[in-house]
Amino acid sequence: MITKIVSKNFEIPDSHLIDVALANGRYSSLKSVFEKEPQELIDIIKQSGLRGKGGGGAATGNKWQIVSDWDGVKYVVVNADESEPGTFKDRRILSLDPHLLIEGIIATCYAVSSNISYIYVRGEYEEFSDVLQGAIDEAYEKNFLGVGAKYRVDITIHRGAGAYICGEKSALLESLEGNRGHPRLKPHSPEPEFYFNEPTLVNNVETIASVPFIIENGADAYRAYGTEKSPGTLLFGISGNVNKPGVYEAEFGISMLEFIEKVGGGVKKGKKLKAVIPGGASTPILPYEMLKDARLDYENLSALGSALGTGGMIVLGEDASMVKALKNLLRFYHHESCGQCTPCREGTSWSDKILDRFVAKKATTEDLEILKSVSNSMNGKTICVFAPAASGVIDGFLKHFEAEFLECIV
Amino acid sequence: MKILIDNAEVECKEGDLLIEVMLKNALEIPHFCYQEDLGADGNCRMCMVEIKGQKRPQIACNTFVKENLEVSTISENIKEVKRSILELELLNHPVDCAICDQAGECKLQDYYMDFGLYDSHLSTPKTKKGKHIDLGSNVMLDQERCVLCTRCVRFTSNITKTNELGIIGRGDNSRVAVAPGHELNNPYAMNVVELCPVGALTSKDFRFKQRVWFLDSTKSICHGCSRGCNIYIDYNETKYSAEKVHRFRARRNNKINKSFLCDYGRLSYKELNENFNADVSHVKDLKELLKDEKKLALVSPSMSLQQLQAVKSFCKDNSVELFSLPYIDENFGDEWLKTNDMSANFNGVKELGINYDEDEFGVSLQEAHVVINFDHKYLKNRELKSKKVVHFTTSHVDSDYELIFVIADFAHDSGTIINCDGIRQDFYATKYESQNSRLVDILEELK
Ligand SMILES: Cc1cc2nc3c(=O)[nH]c(=O)nc-3n(C[C@H](O)[C@H](O)[C@H](O)COP(=O)(O)O)c2cc1C
Ligand code: SF4
Ligand code: SF4
Ligand code: SF4
Ligand code: FES
Repeated sequence: MITKIVSKNFEIPDSHLIDVALANGRYSSLKSVFEKEPQELIDIIKQSGLRGKGGGGAATGNKWQIVSDWDGVKYVVVNADESEPGTFKDRRILSLDPHLLIEGIIATCYAVSSNISYIYVRGEYEEFSDVLQGAIDEAYEKNFLGVGAKYRVDITIHRGAGAYICGEKSALLESLEGNRGHPRLKPHSPEPEFYFNEPTLVNNVETIASVPFIIENGADAYRAYGTEKSPGTLLFGISGNVNKPGVYEAEFGISMLEFIEKVGGGVKKGKKLKAVIPGGASTPILPYEMLKDARLDYENLSALGSALGTGGMIVLGEDASMVKALKNLLRFYHHESCGQCTPCREGTSWSDKILDRFVAKKATTEDLEILKSVSNSMNGKTICVFAPAASGVIDGFLKHFEAEFLECIV
Repeated sequence: MKILIDNAEVECKEGDLLIEVMLKNALEIPHFCYQEDLGADGNCRMCMVEIKGQKRPQIACNTFVKENLEVSTISENIKEVKRSILELELLNHPVDCAICDQAGECKLQDYYMDFGLYDSHLSTPKTKKGKHIDLGSNVMLDQERCVLCTRCVRFTSNITKTNELGIIGRGDNSRVAVAPGHELNNPYAMNVVELCPVGALTSKDFRFKQRVWFLDSTKSICHGCSRGCNIYIDYNETKYSAEKVHRFRARRNNKINKSFLCDYGRLSYKELNENFNADVSHVKDLKELLKDEKKLALVSPSMSLQQLQAVKSFCKDNSVELFSLPYIDENFGDEWLKTNDMSANFNGVKELGINYDEDEFGVSLQEAHVVINFDHKYLKNRELKSKKVVHFTTSHVDSDYELIFVIADFAHDSGTIINCDGIRQDFYATKYESQNSRLVDILEELK
């Protein structure tokens, strides 16, 4: 079930050191990169069908094209803010194969004609950030980066201050500019992101780390994996009540239940599977009954009323309390709402407080009604999709597990 | 181009901002964060409308109109959206309208009456925040009443670029605040009070003094400097006290001050309340003095064109040499509204051809026997030995004088002034009768 493209070097000891990295194929794609014109690279990425691995699954090639076509000084920003519960894949790349990321950044910068890249690393990832910085320093010494390089790219790490919302691309750029991490209003027509008003590409760590393989082996080699619409692989995370939590790379389109069983080692203590949050905390929960034919790709999970998200599965066994699980998630949303939009600022706080009454088994029927109505107010009426995600989380729990909530009503 | 708003045709241009089209046509559109001079921020979500063909409601402050746009603000669905957002907005609000200065001009109150009217659903504890926070520059903050529209923050970041205010905390813990050890401190700071759509920011100068619904308003022009910012004079007269001016508020004029005032000008209303009593002299005594040969007059460059004209004719008829001198303060002006010329109508002085040569004035003053001062500040507290001095004044006079006539100030005597950019502007008298005569009437009597 496991396919190793991005994670190929993860198990090689000291693969974060440049000599080990070089001995294991790192930076080898740069030869094919510089042989080509930037537009050719963009075309290859388009043909490969590579989709953003930060949760949204947007077509990467199209994003590159928009940035490439836009006039201005271009920036490539790597999103390593990874702060969503259930998602912990990017840190593996940062710490186990940072040179793969650097190689990907060089290729990406060349493709969109940028010479400057920032890596926005989650504040709490100090340890991983240090490893990454070590790798960057080595890459400068070996002239893969900086003035001595064949194509000049400079990389700077920026560490966040511990806010989940700074993973949202426009909030990330606000934060990078030195402002509060508040998402910006969405544009009315396709345009790049902007860093200090200059056209900017924001891609997830894993997206960029997938680039070297595609350039070196061609779009078809990538398309050999996965499905027609979700080509390639993803670093799937699995956590919760499973025997072997961790990050495992696999093709898109494989069976979720099989993955949980074979790769995740099944539910702890041989208990029955109750539900799965399929792609990080912000994807709606799915009960076991709906998972029989569930496949790990964008199309399949969205057809089931949830989403693939970041592919970080949270597994809940038969003993799990859905009320407590929702409380746990809503505490997160309450804590992490950036607070600018009224429905989100007040809605995340109110719904979290109402959940306290359910956990204490002191809720009323009206509380349940309010929870539903607050969730409705958060859906589709805000600047970014944080609030709609929280709304989807609440709706998912109430849709599939309402009985457990009714039991908490006095 | 025409679009349909609630089934009525509205004229507009492609690319206009929907909320601006609606406001221009006096259509109801609730909004907190959008403000004409600060633009849209999109945070309050109060301005949601339904747009045909779009499955989700959209914010009018970030919707640009195009051909065939059909907007609804009254469908059941959109009313419910607004109701629910307003409910969230008020969730942690202290509902202390009874003691709030904003009561009567508070958007929350207005919108609640229009779209809210629900029973409180709150069974969970409210979030507590700071009250009575002194931000500096006369501005007090109540964080619990704040709707976090960021108008005040954007004013200090985008308009004055002084950046004193910011939002701290996240989610429902977000609060407006100044950085520790700093305060709101810029010459335009008090505008944030007017910008605040609710009672979160109040002026120490106005707090607790008046309920706004007891105030009358008159359109006027600030006389603090030559910019001529447009204002409302808010005033009233009660059973127990004489008429009093309570504040100046900015009145929109996009060519001059937009919706802003400087703090100096805003607080200059106080001069209008300085009750000045003097035994007013008789006109016939002035006639007596006018028989002297060497007469000089100095007229305030803040007088209206009508007053200046009357003074000019008076001087001509009575062979009085007339001057005016501008009020210059090199430290007052700035790059924005304030000008070094602190006279309200120096351009009027120039237009009427009144002599403003300082040296010639100095020479003439030495020779004059009779000096008539038409409310010019420089002469009010200056000793003019061995001269007979006559004051026409709106305020207290320190120096000795022969005759004195207290005249109506600009809140009681309408007129026209020309600002630093040559824009002519009218201002009006409040509705209460002044105790003092108008200058033009006194001069008429002298004829
Ligand atoms: C609330 C929120 C949090 C997000 N956090 C992350 C994150 O931690 N890492 C990430 O790569 N993308 C995150 N995203 C998605 C980014 O906005 C953006 O779509 C992504 O970085 C684009 O890269 P991709 O196209 O390579 O996926 C987040 C989005 C939202 C709305
Ligand atoms: S939806 Fe929530 S997190 Fe997103 S911008 Fe609005 S307040 Fe901030
Ligand atoms: S204090 Fe007033 S102006 Fe400032 S954010 Fe709050 S409500 Fe808006
Ligand atoms: S800038 Fe001048 S005219 Fe405007 S408010 Fe200030 S003093 Fe008055
Ligand atoms: S006025 Fe439009 S969102 Fe606030």
